[in-house]
Amino acid sequence: MTTTSHYLDNETPSGLRARIGKFFFAEESPFGLALVRMVICIACLLVTVPRWIHSRELFSTDGAPTPLALNYGYADLLPVPSGGIAVALMTILTFCCVTACLGWCTRASLAISAVLYTYLNLLDSISTMTKYSVITSHVLFLLAFSHCGAVWSIDAWLRRRRLGLPQLHSLADHPKFAAWPRRLIQILIGVVYFGASVTKMHTPAYFSGDQLWHWMITNVNNANPVGEWMTLYPASLVAFAYLCVIWEILFLFVSWRGWGRVCMLAMGIGFHVMTTLTLGLYLFPITCIATYFAFVNSEDVVTAAARWRRWTRRHGETWLPRLAAVTRLPRAISGWATTSLRLTPAASLGVFSLLLTVVAVGAVEVEYRLDIYGERSPEGPLALKEIDPNVVKQMFAGSVRLREYDKLLAFDVGSSMFGGMITGVRDTFYHGDPVIAQCTLSPPHEDMWVECNLHDSNNILIDRVGQIVVRSQLRGNFLYRACEALDPGTYFLVLRTGTQELTRRKIEILANDAARCRINAN
Amino acid sequence: MIKRWLTGFGITAYLGTLLFGIVSHAANFQDGSHPSMYFIVWDMFCGWSAYETRTHIVGQGVSGKYYELSPGPWGDYQPYSNISRHHYDSFNLNPQTIAVNCLKHTAHEPMTRLYVVEEAWAKKYNLPESLWKHRYSEPKEPYSYFHVRTVMTPEGQVTGNAVSWLSYQTNFTISDNPRLQRESQKSAPMFMVRPMSETSSPSAN
Repeated sequence: MTTTSHYLDNETPSGLRARIGKFFFAEESPFGLALVRMVICIACLLVTVPRWIHSRELFSTDGAPTPLALNYGYADLLPVPSGGIAVALMTILTFCCVTACLGWCTRASLAISAVLYTYLNLLDSISTMTKYSVITSHVLFLLAFSHCGAVWSIDAWLRRRRLGLPQLHSLADHPKFAAWPRRLIQILIGVVYFGASVTKMHTPAYFSGDQLWHWMITNVNNANPVGEWMTLYPASLVAFAYLCVIWEILFLFVSWRGWGRVCMLAMGIGFHVMTTLTLGLYLFPITCIATYFAFVNSEDVVTAAARWRRWTRRHGETWLPRLAAVTRLPRAISGWATTSLRLTPAASLGVFSLLLTVVAVGAVEVEYRLDIYGERSPEGPLALKEIDPNVVKQMFAGSVRLREYDKLLAFDVGSSMFGGMITGVRDTFYHGDPVIAQCTLSPPHEDMWVECNLHDSNNILIDRVGQIVVRSQLRGNFLYRACEALDPGTYFLVLRTGTQELTRRKIEILANDAARCRINAN
Repeated sequence: MIKRWLTGFGITAYLGTLLFGIVSHAANFQDGSHPSMYFIVWDMFCGWSAYETRTHIVGQGVSGKYYELSPGPWGDYQPYSNISRHHYDSFNLNPQTIAVNCLKHTAHEPMTRLYVVEEAWAKKYNLPESLWKHRYSEPKEPYSYFHVRTVMTPEGQVTGNAVSWLSYQTNFTISDNPRLQRESQKSAPMFMVRPMSETSSPSAN
């Protein structure tokens, strides 16, 4: 029992200091951290494996590294490795992610992963270093100080084998350690969300929905068809924007226990799934959701295990035999290892180091033979690709000013508004209905004179209404009323700037017995 | 006990660092002062633009032909989506590294100049045809703007740098003001330097 043993769950310490002590130093089995370890390592592998073949190009002096420090005015903050060393480092990183995930030499694997992942990311600011990389670096760093390898790991299994301990029959039999690494990961993700809410508060266009609108129609992250579809309903973006900020602020304060924890985590999962669907983010959600496992405590695992046992007793007759067939090979390996392997920690570390060296050297050799630049082929270095002269002509035609039509983002007609956006988009109105036309402009635009004119079916101008939309504004609203002075029929709302017609919308005005309007208002 | 104190110190230091990041970001205090700030400032999705941009890094050979320098002929690397890596260099800080690396590993005629050309188009043209028809009554006719951003020697030495396409267009929206133009022309920037003096400009601009 360590010095923290006096902080037991059933104690109720009084005083702030004691409560903080209990918060950070209460003992528990590190199930949550073990889950974080496994998922964050898988998230790391999703980054490192596809980039391995490009290591030379991204991270070495034999390629085109783009150090983050350059963005801050520090030209040579970190040394850039040679091609072979970069490949070796990337291989070691990948290997250590795998071993950390399995829990073999866990602390060493996590420490190496934390250092190499951060270092290599710092060398490629344009395609590797983003905020999910930063969160991952924090989590790997914190896990390296934790005892996350004490449960559900090869290390734990080897330890039991070495000490001749009996098979664990209860989750309560697992070793216990102070909770502080788990607490710091919880606080980290809360701070990340809080910081993100500060960013949003600094961005007025976020609350007007404009920022989200534009992020949803780009594939810079990845394809996001749901986001593109949601741009048809811009008012919903305003509602989601406010909801998201409220959740981000509350997370740090409410997500600790009870229903607050359930609600915050459920909203978090919903939020991150939506960022995948609407913004095309993948790695960021996986990384953030990995940290959510830090909110899993020992009681949750005990409860889940009990439910699982009940469920398998009731429903397991049919599929458990099939599962046994699938797990035959792992069990055979485990049985062989049980009779053959009795590794001491030093021997385990020795095997780990040997295997790591062999894999790294082998990977350097394989990468060399792959010759990614194609320089050692019989034909010699590859030839540059010539650009089509017509494309060149376009490129060097000289910069031109924006076309008027490109300044227009949207022209919507409807009858109601929410959050400064048209909601009831329609093209049929009854006498007495308000007709709201809204033009949305893209920045940058100069101070513009914008007209929204009413034309009849013969394109004859009936009503001309204009306003100045200054450069800091993105929207101009025009309110008409479908009054009885307008005969039932087809009309056009024509949007013009000072020089030309931009677009038009066809509307139908129908008679209504209960017409209330008498004037054509704006 | 020492271990407990060290742990407590570590926890306090870590939480203090996170707190400093939040305060720094909220108050815009030293938030871009050092690369390490990137690890504690959480400014995801802090910017946006109504225009999609792409970067073309091209080389002009002595024959007058132009060549694509990124992606290199050995293959494209697309970190996210189907967009090449060099397009994510939004601050235009690394085109010379990318261009020189391409020249170093390929066979080519001697180069006279290397160029970075920005291409931009309104993001609304990214909408698929089906959604475009919902949103707009006109047919979709995408249009790209091109803007020469940087000119370099074949060794990657920058000989000319222009503002980004977006800044270039933003400047138009402001400079279309005759009064502003007149007043700015009266006050051309200057800085008087005494010979042999090492004094730097008193202005911060």
